[in-house]
Amino acid sequence: MAELTLGVFPSLVGSMSLDFSFKLAEAAIAKGHKVNMWLSGNAVMMAKKGQKAFKDYSHLEKRMKELMSKGMEITVCEACAEARGYHKEDVPEGMKRASMDWYLAKTVKTDRLLHIGGE
Amino acid sequence: MKLAVFLSDLRRTEDTYERLKAEKLGVILVENGIYHAVIKEGGKDSPVLSKAGATFYALTDDLETRGYTAANVNPKVKLVSYGDIVDLITNEYEKTAWL
Amino acid sequence: MGAVKLLFVVQRPPYKSENPRLALTHALASQTAEIYMDEGDSVVPTVAFVGDGVLNAVKGQQAMKTYGVTSTESHIKGCLMTDVPIWVCKEDMERLGLKEDQIVSDAEDMGGADISTKFVSFAEIQKEMESVKHLLFF
Repeated sequence: MAELTLGVFPSLVGSMSLDFSFKLAEAAIAKGHKVNMWLSGNAVMMAKKGQKAFKDYSHLEKRMKELMSKGMEITVCEACAEARGYHKEDVPEGMKRASMDWYLAKTVKTDRLLHIGGE
Repeated sequence: MKLAVFLSDLRRTEDTYERLKAEKLGVILVENGIYHAVIKEGGKDSPVLSKAGATFYALTDDLETRGYTAANVNPKVKLVSYGDIVDLITNEYEKTAWL
Repeated sequence: MGAVKLLFVVQRPPYKSENPRLALTHALASQTAEIYMDEGDSVVPTVAFVGDGVLNAVKGQQAMKTYGVTSTESHIKGCLMTDVPIWVCKEDMERLGLKEDQIVSDAEDMGGADISTKFVSFAEIQKEMESVKHLLFF
């Protein structure tokens, strides 16, 4: 089984790329792969717990918790989060915060990296 | 290099895409990239599909989200699921590029 | 694993999108990534500007004056000062009418760097894509 690292930068609301990355992660975990996810830039919107689910907006907190319970490691960029007013106490349970070097370090051992940068 | 390129837009990063080369190249059309598999602007296939030697894939979920079905898809393009994409990037290709 | 090479490819112009800046700050983070890695492992990044992304490297940026934010130019210089190679695609410069003297090529005003910007063909960037372990397109 492989280790897959996803680096995701587009926002939760206003883009569907984050939805894509969670669905891909789900499919990878279902096949027995190890998945790591780095959320940076506007994707740190995931670092705010208690978001209300509306049908007009993407809502991924529940899916994220399910994936973390299955072993997916999710870390958000601390500086990107703080710059947007998402503080340590806002982070959903199980999610980690770190500086960008966490992501760079993950690239060393991961078998595949899918970096979803553009927005 | 065995490279899986993800295209998620109808337009924007064509200049990079056109110049990329790989010994084995897979082009995975996701999000708005799926339009390359279904539209015929001016009656012609998308230029994306003219990339020599490439194998083309489109994500079924993103196709259906946008009102298209398998019947609309260019015969050059294979439809894939999320699970298929996982298999492609872990077994068939060694690097990925999300343009 | 030893040294793992990464190529950051910046395709978009600066400021409207945060992504070009994030490419540079992530590349700079390679300097401190050891704290998360095993002994002997390291990441070796190169940043390549292609397509409209070459506009990130135009010198004389005044983002601090106009918006109070660090300019992309400063981040490029920061990369050069920490030995992160900066490559700019020659064909794209030519297409956009840019000359080498319009591009950030050193960090003299920030104390100097041991390396300078390299002006390269897309073919050279393609070759680097083949030699690195992972690609990060911004």
